[in-house]
Amino acid sequence: MTLGIVLLPVIGAVVAMLAGHRRERIAPLAGVVTTAASLGAALVIGFGHWGDAAASALGPYEISTGGTPILVGLRVDQLSASMLVLATAVALLVQVYSVSYLRGDPRYPTYTALVCLFTAAMSLVVVSDDLFVLLVGWEVMGVCSYFLISHHWELEPAREGAVKAFVMTRLGDIGFLFGIFVIGEAAGTYQISGVITAAEAGSITSGEATISTLLLLCGVVGKSAQFPLHSWLPDAMPGPTPISALIHAATMVAAGVYLVARLLPVYVLSDVAMAVLSGIAVITMLGSALMALAADDLKRVLAWSTVSQLAYMFAALSLAGYGAAILHLLSHGAFKALLFLAAGSVIHAVGTQRLGQMGGLRAALPITFTTMTIGFAALAGVPPLVGFFSKDAVLGVAYEQAMHGEYAVRGWLVLVAGLLGAALTAAYSTRAWLLVFLGPRRGSTAEPSDGADNGRIVAAEPHESPWLMLGPLVLLAIPCLVGSWAVLRPGFLGIEADPLHLPVALISLGLALGAIAATVFAWWQLGAADPAVRLGKFRQVLAGEFHYDALVERVILRPSRFSALAVAANESSIVEPYVQGADTATQWSARLLRWLHDGNLQRYVTTVVLGAVALAVVIGLAQ
Amino acid sequence: MISASSFGGLEFLVAGPAVGAALLPLLRDSRRVTQAAIGLASAVLAVSIWMWVDVVSADGAYVWQSNASWIAALDVHWRLGVDDLSAPLVVLTALLTWCCLVALLKRAPDCGGTSALVGLILVIEAGSIGTFVALDLVLFFVLFEVVLIPMWFVIAAWGDPHDEPGRRRAASRFLVVTVTGSALMLVAFLLLRSELGTFDLAALTERARVIESDRQILIAVLLMVGFGAKIPMWPLHFWLPDAHSKAPTVGSVLLAGVLLKLGTYGLLRFWYDVVPVGALEVAPYLGALGVVGIVYGALACLAQPDLKRLIAYSSVGHMGFVALAISTMTPQGLAAANFANVAHGVITALLFFVVGAVKDRVGDSGFGVIGRGLYARSPHLAAVLAVAAVASLGLPGLAGFWGEMLTMLAAYSPHPDLPQTTYLVFMVLAGLGVVLTTVYFVVAVRKVCQGVPASDAVTDVEADEWVAWLPLVALTVLLGLAPMVMLWSADVVAALPVTP
Repeated sequence: MTLGIVLLPVIGAVVAMLAGHRRERIAPLAGVVTTAASLGAALVIGFGHWGDAAASALGPYEISTGGTPILVGLRVDQLSASMLVLATAVALLVQVYSVSYLRGDPRYPTYTALVCLFTAAMSLVVVSDDLFVLLVGWEVMGVCSYFLISHHWELEPAREGAVKAFVMTRLGDIGFLFGIFVIGEAAGTYQISGVITAAEAGSITSGEATISTLLLLCGVVGKSAQFPLHSWLPDAMPGPTPISALIHAATMVAAGVYLVARLLPVYVLSDVAMAVLSGIAVITMLGSALMALAADDLKRVLAWSTVSQLAYMFAALSLAGYGAAILHLLSHGAFKALLFLAAGSVIHAVGTQRLGQMGGLRAALPITFTTMTIGFAALAGVPPLVGFFSKDAVLGVAYEQAMHGEYAVRGWLVLVAGLLGAALTAAYSTRAWLLVFLGPRRGSTAEPSDGADNGRIVAAEPHESPWLMLGPLVLLAIPCLVGSWAVLRPGFLGIEADPLHLPVALISLGLALGAIAATVFAWWQLGAADPAVRLGKFRQVLAGEFHYDALVERVILRPSRFSALAVAANESSIVEPYVQGADTATQWSARLLRWLHDGNLQRYVTTVVLGAVALAVVIGLAQ
Repeated sequence: MISASSFGGLEFLVAGPAVGAALLPLLRDSRRVTQAAIGLASAVLAVSIWMWVDVVSADGAYVWQSNASWIAALDVHWRLGVDDLSAPLVVLTALLTWCCLVALLKRAPDCGGTSALVGLILVIEAGSIGTFVALDLVLFFVLFEVVLIPMWFVIAAWGDPHDEPGRRRAASRFLVVTVTGSALMLVAFLLLRSELGTFDLAALTERARVIESDRQILIAVLLMVGFGAKIPMWPLHFWLPDAHSKAPTVGSVLLAGVLLKLGTYGLLRFWYDVVPVGALEVAPYLGALGVVGIVYGALACLAQPDLKRLIAYSSVGHMGFVALAISTMTPQGLAAANFANVAHGVITALLFFVVGAVKDRVGDSGFGVIGRGLYARSPHLAAVLAVAAVASLGLPGLAGFWGEMLTMLAAYSPHPDLPQTTYLVFMVLAGLGVVLTTVYFVVAVRKVCQGVPASDAVTDVEADEWVAWLPLVALTVLLGLAPMVMLWSADVVAALPVTP
């Protein structure tokens, strides 16, 4: 069953690739059917493992390496079962949505196949019980996202974004690989359950734990787009919008959170790693929320919001708040998938991603408006939506630590940052919501898209999307509305329910409502213009994203290019003349050798023997 | 199981192609020659796979051994045998030869002489397989040299049709450098003979402990430089980009897939089995040169305006990984080197096939000439190129990953007598090389496959090309998903003592 979840989408991918180009119907069908079957299997596994059920395992099968062997095996517990259901459910909705969103796209079969592979890779990450097999899924996901982001490869931003995403995540993955080495050699096994047993039994020293977890963190930071490897995620936005939903909600970026949660028993052994994680989370949480406040691209706002929300999960993990992080991961998966798919519906209608050219779409897109409002409200933390409760769980962990935990200092840090972040989140959500749906309509529709992913010219009047696209929105709105029930009863994850932290909940609610009110007020006062104007000069800094890319360009890219040119110059102007000069001399020896090597075995062997005798004599004399 | 050695399985693997090379060109029609050669190569491939199965069940010992006196006065024998180290390379050679012959069937070179080219390819096959299975130093040396001459002809006569002096120069450079390397190797062999009084590899392995350490170091250095010229180890790599960019497609495929492996195989065989004590002293230098090759090759690729040269330089980097693996002197390093050898052979051969196809279609392999948007102009060709590039950059789940991962893992815990910190630095630098490799391949894919398509269409992959390429694509995926196919013997090797 577990293996089936991984293999079914692979079958879908193969069918779509082989037959998809011949018959138009096959690719969508293959994608939807296999992903649906995968979701079915995931649900069966979920109901079998949620609650107090014990983990089940398959394998291990041993691969010898000449050293510590690799033990290939699968293992499912409450956490992996929940991740499986989330990933396959979002993948299925994305597949269904794409049938309409990418209708008539000649690259559809490749697209579906990649989405299927992506789903399979994510499933492999969450069910694998071996670090190397996990890495296989981890990086296959990376390469699928590379191909999917560059779906519109004739557009410059798509190419640029794909390269950036792949290279940045792979840079982190090298650290990740080394982290696996360190942890595997320290624990004497690469099996995840074995590593955790070793950590709990105290056979991993805190030094080993620090080095390995920090190295693993490189890969996590890359995959989950946290500072300092955060800048690829917003630039990955030229990819088709359903892909953004898949990457941001349930798969790639969530994999980083999953990994830290899974290896939390090792992380808690190292105060240094936990402190670094807190620091990264706080910087990323606030920095990216600020950037979301000034971005002029709807998908970019959502991308920065993903980065910021993931930082909440890492903040919880850095305070050993396992349950809070996972609950926020699941709840974020639901509302972020909803927001991205709804954004796709908006972009589909107006043919642009720029907030400056939207506005007043409430009447034209009633269902998109309703569902996206639910999504934004969940993101902003408006009760009783799911986001409010899961964010409260995170802040509650910080509150508990700040008041009477062992990480008091970091508890305060995360608590203050988290509350500030809650206000910023409410502000940018409100701003985006106002600019898309309310006020007058700005900009004309018929303009060809400026980097918008679908690259199609749409009808002059915005219109509601077809039901194949709206259906997933409605389905995703349901967990946003009623998911709070599950967040308050997390027994299915095998963890204890945590009552609402009233002081924190009230403060964060007050901040969120205040931020919403302030944003609406600014918007109203400015005559329905962008409330970001109120940021003054700071707006430019934020829109320029702190000039981080320029810094990377100057510190890393330029020196690398220079070294490459130096090597090329060395090859052509230093090595080459030296070889050329030697040519004249070698021509003669070459002629001699050619004579020796003309294939006459007799003469050849004679020469060899003569040489042997001569050398034997020389060596004999030398002794 | 029936013993194939009873009817001379190994003799067939070596002599079959050699006899074929001598007789087949007698057929008048060049197409017939190629067809017959494909038949022969298929038989060789089948026997080599059978042989591998036998090796797998033999748990690390030499199997299919045969022995016949050759030059009695010097105690030189036709001693052949195969073990888990040589078996995969024999199969790789047989497979790549088969692919090359299939590729020639419908795409004879414009300059003619297909029969001769087919003959030379068979000679290369015979010589390479012979080198891999030779258990006598003189025989090893002779067969090692036998491979060079046909390759010189292949490059010089069937190379780049637009640049005759260039291809001759490239061929000669290749020959001079590798022959110089062979000379050093020969000196090492003679030193061994003078120390132990035999050319028999198995006997040398048993008696090697009596060689004093100074002499072992000298032999290890000679072997390192000698085989290093062939691998090619930085800074002896300068012949490689030229040889590859001027060679015809089949030449490049065999050069990268088979000939470079002769160097790494030789180093692996003699360092581990014959002079381990000396090798331990020299190993850090080999590791350092390997790592420099990894980073240098990657940087050279970054600034490369020509796709074929880029892949040639990428070989410098990949073979640097093999050199680093060998230099760790551990069973894990040996497994890594063996895996990386085969993976590089499969993936780079595929890359050269694809780039050769592009070059044949548009006339040159410079990025400017190929033009952009290959995804649109010939989707299948571009897709195979992208998959091969992704495999070459070491994506987990494809063949390139395991060899390089195990190499870095072996560098993380090298032989206890080696400087651990130095190897830690090597590991980190190799990791940097992996990132740079990713960069240059995605940049290359971006320049060639993506972008607004150039106006001229390019013929897509044709049926005969699929036949030649698909085995390589399948192996790339198989080795990536089921690395145990190659790693089954890693623990068998672990049982063999590396230190005396």
